[in-house]
Parts: sequence; structure tokens; C-alpha cells
Amino acid sequence: MASDTASGDKGSGPNESTETDNSMFECNICLDSARDAVVSMCGHLFCWQCLHQWLETRPNRQTCPVCKAGISKDKVVPIYGRGSTDQKDPREKLPPRPQGQRAEPEAQGGFPGFGFGDGGFHMSFGIGAFPFGIFASTFNFNDGRPGPPPAGSAQHQEEQVLSKFFLWVAVIFIIWLLLA
Amino acid sequence: MASMEKRLHKELQALTKEPPRGVHVDQESISRNITEWLVHLDGAEGSLYNGEKFQLVFKFSQSYPFDSPQVMFVGNNIPVHPHVYSNGHICLSILTDDWSPALSVTSVCLSIVSMLSSCTEKKRPPDNAIYVKTCSKNPKKTRWYYHDDDV
Ligand SMILES: [Zn+2]
Ligand SMILES: [Zn+2]
Repeated sequence: MASDTASGDKGSGPNESTETDNSMFECNICLDSARDAVVSMCGHLFCWQCLHQWLETRPNRQTCPVCKAGISKDKVVPIYGRGSTDQKDPREKLPPRPQGQRAEPEAQGGFPGFGFGDGGFHMSFGIGAFPFGIFASTFNFNDGRPGPPPAGSAQHQEEQVLSKFFLWVAVIFIIWLLLA
Repeated sequence: MASMEKRLHKELQALTKEPPRGVHVDQESISRNITEWLVHLDGAEGSLYNGEKFQLVFKFSQSYPFDSPQVMFVGNNIPVHPHVYSNGHICLSILTDDWSPALSVTSVCLSIVSMLSSCTEKKRPPDNAIYVKTCSKNPKKTRWYYHDDDV
């Protein structure tokens, strides 16, 4: 029966020898017959594991190992032979990428080198307070300082610009705090 | 990992079975250590290196073929070529930036043979003296500035 040959063709001798001669279906990376085969848009065949590892090696420059065409995870087609019992998309087989691998440097890299606070949250909070201090002293609590300059003078305009600037800094920091 | 050794054995098998012209793998060196190959290279006929014999060393890391092999000329005849330093280091982009896991020992050897064959004047790179004094032992650690390919 057809189903018998299909299920049995991995172990049997004659089939195996033709398989090794047939480099048509060998993965372009491990040079073995492709397991969990995928084909790129440019037509090159790989094991999904092999291609995945290559894409992880150069995340910023994902090119086909054979022809250098652009390539991506979403643009490869899984191949299901007749004998394959597993019809699952090979791209789902690998463990999912470690979470937050891409986001991490952004969150940690904001203010490197500051020693206070033991966690990321404490650190950003401590820094976040800094512009508020300036914010407050510029706008409200200026007792002891000379009164505001008359409207229209150069100094007044300068202060307007300055306060707008600090307002924006404060707004950006609030947004940043909320998002962080 | 085992996958690296498996691939190296496959490459060796193919190279032994159908070696490209002028390329011979030193089987003895490999039988000692599969991660370090000695390859004999003949200067191509009709090129400036006709009749010369060279030796290349390939060193493979555990992440080969995702990581490129370390390749350099060794022995007492280092080809005099604008992309080959007198310490054997080779300035060839496929050995670093343009490496791809679909390349192999064979394709690297062929690239080097063709690099030699297209040479029109035997001379060392202009920065040879300073490079040889300051470079790392491992050519892969060099931040290569790739010369034009018109040599
Ligand atoms: Zn593979
Ligand atoms: Zn391709």
C-alpha cells in the first residue's frame, strides 16, 4: 500500500542511498537532507532550525545565505512531503524567541551609570523628580527672587520660552514615566 | 556542537571526492583535529602565481557554519598580493562581513584562487608594515576596510 511505503521510507536501505545522492533536497546550511524544510521566496531550501539560527545570528541584516536576497521569518514557506506525518508549521516548533530580547536594551539603556535605586523603576523615578524641581522653581515658588519682569521686555520673552521648554520637558517625563 | 563536526565531515567528504583544481586538503592534519584544516593551494596556470605553492589554514569555531572560519596563509611562501599581508592575513570580505553559512571550505578556496588569479601586480598591501606590527593573531579580529575589488 502507498501508506506503507510512505511511513517506512525513512529506514529502508535503497531509499536512503538515493536520498544521500540527491543533493536537490539538502539544506544549504547543514548540507544534510532538510528537516522541517522551509523554502525562501528566492527558492532556497533550508532546515527551519538552520535558517532560524542564521537569522538570529544577524538580526540586522537578514539575507538568504545562498543568494543574499532579503529574507524574513514570515516570508518562508514550509514544505510538507507526502511522507511527513507532522503537518504542523515548522516555524511554530522552535521555542518562541526569549521575551523582551529586543525591548531590553531600550529600557535599561536610558540612563546608564546612575548608581541609585536598586531596580529599574526606582532609578527612573529618582531621575523623573529632577525636572519637577526646576518646573516648580520656575513657575510658582519664586519668593525671595525679584518679581517677574514687565511683559514685552526681552527678559520676559526669554522666560516665556524657557518655561515653555521646561513644561515640555516635564510633559515628556510624565509620559515617559507612565510608559516605563 | 556535533552539528559543526557533522558539517565539516560532509565538506571533507565532498572535497576529497571531487577536489577543485589546485586545491588539496591535507588529510593528516584533519585526522588529528577536525577543527583545524591545512589546505594546499596551487597558483593557477596563466596567473602571476603559476607554479607557486601555498598553504592555507582554516580554523573552525563551534558555531561554524554560522560563524566564518578563520583563514590565513601559513608556511614559507605567503603570496605577494595587494590583499595578503606578509603575516598571512587575507583581506577578503567573505571571511568576515560577507560570510554566509552556505559558503564552504571549497568556495573560500576558490575565492582565494580567483583573488590571486586576477592580480596584475605582485605587491604587498600599502599598510603592510604597520598592520603586521599591530594586528591581532586572529585575522577575524581585524576591522577590515575592504579594498576595491578591481585588483
Ligand atoms: Zn539544515
Ligand atoms: Zn536565496
